[in-house]
Amino acid sequence: MARMKFICDAERCIECNGCTTACKSEHEVPWGVNRRRLVTVNDGLPGERSISVACMHCTDAPCMAVCPVDCFYRTEEQIVLHDKDLCIGCGYCYYACPFGAPQFPQAGAFGLRGKMDKCTYCAGGPEENFSAEEFRKYGRNRIAEGKLPACAEMCSTKALLAGDAPVIAKIYKTRVATRGKGEQLWGWAMAYKGSDKVSDNLGAGA
Amino acid sequence: MLHTYARRFAALILGAALALPFAAAAQSPAPPTTAPTGKVPDNPARGMQAEHSSATGSTAIPGWNNPPDWASVSERPQYASIPGRETNRLVQGAGREWRELHNGLITQAGGWLVVIVLAAITVFYLIKGTIKLKGAPTGRLIERFNAVERAAHWTMAICFVVLALTGIVMFFGKYIVLPWLGYAGFSWLTIVSKNLHNFVGPLFIFAIVVGFLIFVKDNFLHAIDWRWMAKFGGMFSSEEVPSGRFNGLEKLWFWGGLVLLGIAMAVTGLILDFPNWNQARDAMQLANVVHDIAAVLFICAGLGHIYMGTIGMQGAYRAMRDGYVDEEWAKEHHVLWYEEVKAGKRPEKIVGAQAQPAPGDD
Repeated sequence: MARMKFICDAERCIECNGCTTACKSEHEVPWGVNRRRLVTVNDGLPGERSISVACMHCTDAPCMAVCPVDCFYRTEEQIVLHDKDLCIGCGYCYYACPFGAPQFPQAGAFGLRGKMDKCTYCAGGPEENFSAEEFRKYGRNRIAEGKLPACAEMCSTKALLAGDAPVIAKIYKTRVATRGKGEQLWGWAMAYKGSDKVSDNLGAGA
Repeated sequence: MLHTYARRFAALILGAALALPFAAAAQSPAPPTTAPTGKVPDNPARGMQAEHSSATGSTAIPGWNNPPDWASVSERPQYASIPGRETNRLVQGAGREWRELHNGLITQAGGWLVVIVLAAITVFYLIKGTIKLKGAPTGRLIERFNAVERAAHWTMAICFVVLALTGIVMFFGKYIVLPWLGYAGFSWLTIVSKNLHNFVGPLFIFAIVVGFLIFVKDNFLHAIDWRWMAKFGGMFSSEEVPSGRFNGLEKLWFWGGLVLLGIAMAVTGLILDFPNWNQARDAMQLANVVHDIAAVLFICAGLGHIYMGTIGMQGAYRAMRDGYVDEEWAKEHHVLWYEEVKAGKRPEKIVGAQAQPAPGDD
């Protein structure tokens, strides 16, 4: 069976927030909840990179381990989902998660946490596939439609990859091997190497 | 793993204590700390070939496009345009420590500690039985707790029992209740428990503040209390060590339980109960660890207190229910207090037998 994962290629991500928007739009995510977000590292400094983060559907999922009502489960595709009918809104998954994926819409006074909401890998929840209840609680079930998550499908630079772990890992490895990294990604030589129209010597001496 | 918690413990207690008066002001969410580090991370260009960096025609400025050292950036706050609490933290590693403590040591050691204390109390009861009056009741009653004291005690007691039971459901229920109640039933029970816990908690804090003010005057430690504690009040021997209105163990329960554990539970409980104060995850993780450990200790001590106040000692429960004890009970268990009452140095009154049904009968 497949083991579905996300990879965000930080060398390609342009911080457009298209993935965040695609997710919010696709699932009609409640106000105040963002199942996916962009984090920009070294913002405005040399070596700035952006990376898209959401639930990483961990193999040893901390949320699953600490949930006091055991509301998490794993699908055949190894996607980590949860049952909002069981969730009590205690916040333990939020304490345990390394990625800050679990979020809680406020359900009452004093910041009372409602039912936890997180990325479903566009795989819905325990309700019947394509039912109105499933959409209301978890959003669209694209996996059952045979589609990949909306964020990765929407990504304009194909920085965000979703799919079976060996497949997307191979794509990423190929990219790394092809482009190199760091200084190699920058400048005329990289952009126009071998071009007839632009002199390779244009920026020499910089 | 534990030492990182130990280091943060002092900071949390101090910070929380200082922050409490400003809790109302903190209701408005603080802006996320997105301050850039202002420093280019020291980053050796991994796997970079020398001939590439000086490629013909390159306009690259050395050091300007090296990817960040992911291991070091992951813990620091970065920039995120998405509003919300800690959205600018790429990865937080403390959750792993919290998970290991919460699921491992505290659940297992804490759970067994409660079981062991229950077993020890049972064994103690089987060996020692109820501590009965040695002499015959005189029929003259002394007021041990007035109406205000009893109301304060029972408010604390009811809150404590509700908090302990709902806490046990939330903390150990996954292992001891879920298997026989099923997912749907247990989830319902836990939602009820969580809400009871969240609302009774602040009431308990109010109750222990009132309880402290009411009972503190008779709980100051004196030399006789250390003697009492050194001999365990004669619990394991037959002779009773003299004590005032409250004996050594009652004072230990007051200072160690109500005051020390009460403060620990209150501070950490408020941090956990009000996520709208915008406290960060590590504060809540640490508060949760302290809250769990203090709760287990509180429950164990509470079990001992409940035992001595009910089946452990004849007449003790009626003292808190009706407010009166027999003179003989006072003379045997709190002789110094009894003498002061007899000498008229205390506010407690001696009343005739007709005022109340004779305590100590059950």
